[in-house]
Amino acid sequence: MPEIIIDNVRYEYEQPGKVLQFMLDQGLDLPYFCYHPSMSIPANCRQCLVKAGTPIVDRETGKPELDEDGNPKIRYFPKFMTACSLDMSDGMVVHTHVTSEEVRRAQADNLELILINHPLDCPICDQAGECPLQILTYKYGPEGSRFEHKKVHKPKRIQLGPRVVLDAERCINCTRCTRFTEEISKSNQLTIVARGDKNYPMTAPGETFDDPYSLNTVDICPVGALTSADFRFKARVWEMAQTPSIDITNGKGCNVDLWTRDNLVLRITPRYNKEINDHWMPDEGRMAYRQMNENRVSKPEIKLSASEHSKTSWNNALMTFVEQIEAHKPEEILVIGSPHAPVEDNFLLQQFFNKLGVSDTLFSPHITPGKGDDFLITDDEAPNTNGCRMLGLGEIDKKKLEAELKSDKYKMVVILTDDLFGRYEIEPSITEGKFTLTFATNYNATTKAADLIIPVTCSAEHTGSYVSVDGRIQRTLPAKETLYSNRRLNLEMSLSRLDHFGTKFDNWVSDRNRIDCIPAWEFLVRTAYEMNLKLGFESSREIMAKISDELPALNGVTYERMDEERGIQLDLKQIPAENVS
Amino acid sequence: MADTYEFSKEELEQIEKIKSKYPEVQSAVMPVLWLAQDKFGHVDSDVQKLVADTLGLPRAHVHGVATFYTQYYKEKMGKYVLDVCGSFSCQVCGAQEIIRHLEEKLGIKEGETTEDGMFSIREVECLGACGYAPMLQVTNDKYVNHLTKEKIDKLIEDLKAGKEPEFESMPVVYHQTSDS
Ligand code: SF4
Ligand code: FES
Ligand code: FES
Repeated sequence: MPEIIIDNVRYEYEQPGKVLQFMLDQGLDLPYFCYHPSMSIPANCRQCLVKAGTPIVDRETGKPELDEDGNPKIRYFPKFMTACSLDMSDGMVVHTHVTSEEVRRAQADNLELILINHPLDCPICDQAGECPLQILTYKYGPEGSRFEHKKVHKPKRIQLGPRVVLDAERCINCTRCTRFTEEISKSNQLTIVARGDKNYPMTAPGETFDDPYSLNTVDICPVGALTSADFRFKARVWEMAQTPSIDITNGKGCNVDLWTRDNLVLRITPRYNKEINDHWMPDEGRMAYRQMNENRVSKPEIKLSASEHSKTSWNNALMTFVEQIEAHKPEEILVIGSPHAPVEDNFLLQQFFNKLGVSDTLFSPHITPGKGDDFLITDDEAPNTNGCRMLGLGEIDKKKLEAELKSDKYKMVVILTDDLFGRYEIEPSITEGKFTLTFATNYNATTKAADLIIPVTCSAEHTGSYVSVDGRIQRTLPAKETLYSNRRLNLEMSLSRLDHFGTKFDNWVSDRNRIDCIPAWEFLVRTAYEMNLKLGFESSREIMAKISDELPALNGVTYERMDEERGIQLDLKQIPAENVS
Repeated sequence: MADTYEFSKEELEQIEKIKSKYPEVQSAVMPVLWLAQDKFGHVDSDVQKLVADTLGLPRAHVHGVATFYTQYYKEKMGKYVLDVCGSFSCQVCGAQEIIRHLEEKLGIKEGETTEDGMFSIREVECLGACGYAPMLQVTNDKYVNHLTKEKIDKLIEDLKAGKEPEFESMPVVYHQTSDS
């Protein structure tokens, strides 16, 4: 197998590739800015310089020439090479800062050059704490600067587009952002303007950077030049806890990280998953953090009059639910699952009412034809349509739904976390005379119409599995506490530095913002207990174990596997394309 | 407005010809910007847009190219653009005095254009004629070398009279190579 010698250590490689990527794959460290594994390689930042050479081959024998010690003689490239663009070749010798003082000097000097006009305003910069320039300068940079003249000034606080703000002085012109719009989102909205020390990224005159993927440039900008208009100055990176999750605003299931502080989700960023979203996600999905924090239903509510609800105790809510169920015959109950709720909740809803003798659980897909693109936005605006289909829930459209809601057949309606009234613009009066219960995360038109509202956890608060449009099942982890969960006791929850070191009594950590809600499945389990139905589950993990036993399509699916394999690709053939009911 | 700028049929044909010279359309951006600047006198954002749309390229791309080169005028300029070199060799040979003199004479500052639209003064980076420092270039064309105040005065008079300067570089020496 061909081999390459990096800092006197021999590595074998199978695939041809670039030196930098190979080093990163081996866990070796080398500073770099402009290189990004998913984009073209411009080699313009010059930070990844290494000393490299190849063995001298004797032209006649075709064998490498050897020195006195019997080692192959190396012919070094006359200048340092950029490791990001340097192809590996058999026998290549590479020296980084580890074994070459010259390379170490080159890296430090290059950083000194990059920093000539950099404002060094880390204390007020959002990127601080997750800034490659900051990190690499600490690790590889010079102690000070020999450039003590006035810095070149460039535009600051430029609103490039609705979601992205530019500080051109911080830009190091790595062109990652422009390459992103050229190669990944293909909107071609950004370019580098001007030249020399005056250049910075910009849109064409009169155009705005409204690319539906624009915020990815903020993630990949290796400095604080591009920042998110929405997240600017909200929090320091190190104050937040970072929890892996998935995008619940469409059917793609982009992998994301939820960033929380004081039980508020402050931002959502993409998490790498080669199978789904690579390093990217649509801007829309990032705004979902607001629905996780704001306008939440906290504590059950019961309807007083057409326009008024009042909070009530969990006990009362549960008893009311039981009474209503007992007051109605099974065929009088309309049960509607939700493509917005996880597989576990839908499954439990179905099981619960099955046990009561309700034969059908329905759901209405949330699909807007034409909304999607060929990239990461889908027509499907819900994360779990395929999960509902897989469970065999009956699929109904708006017309059918209205007919059902209106029908005299039913005296009681149960809706799982889905704003059906809002998204279909259904009049609340349609369910007049029926007892309507909805599980809900947020206030909306459906909660307005409901007689009983059960507040439930959202994807940021529970563990739940969702099946994407492409048939990939993935789960979320709890990122923020509810009134009944505890960050330090729940081992699935991640801790931030503040959580690690803080106590409830510190004034810099806050215990507020905990919603009084429980997972929908838990409410159903409690009700089942009250009614002596056999439906005992302790956790959503147990529910998943049960589902994977029962559903052939989910055989062998466990949380462990989902975590390890970054989601499990299911056999799409086992997912019904549509269950018209 | 964009629609006030248009290429004629002949120009469009010419652009097609330029395009056919290169494997990629992108390569045609520079010559087509030249063509546009020759016609309109500048390549402001509307002209850039016209070039981009004509070539079917992203506007941002053309904008990037146009702003990279000082020789493309991103705004309306004087008929004669006097690009005075302000880089090292010219600087030490008195480029600043030349610029001051020009400013006084024309009553404008560096970077500005006279009201009658005749002259613009700009300080530019090295034009590769350090041997003839200090020097200037007239509207991306002729070099005027070894500048003195008197030479400037004469140049301005000539230009006002519509007389463009002569080429005055050193005589070109053709080296005889052994086999030709
Ligand atoms: S704004 Fe950021 S990503 Fe774009 S070129 Fe500058 S440093 Fe690179
Ligand atoms: S990472 Fe290699 S030159 Fe920028
Ligand atoms: S410094 Fe003026 S032409 Fe080179």
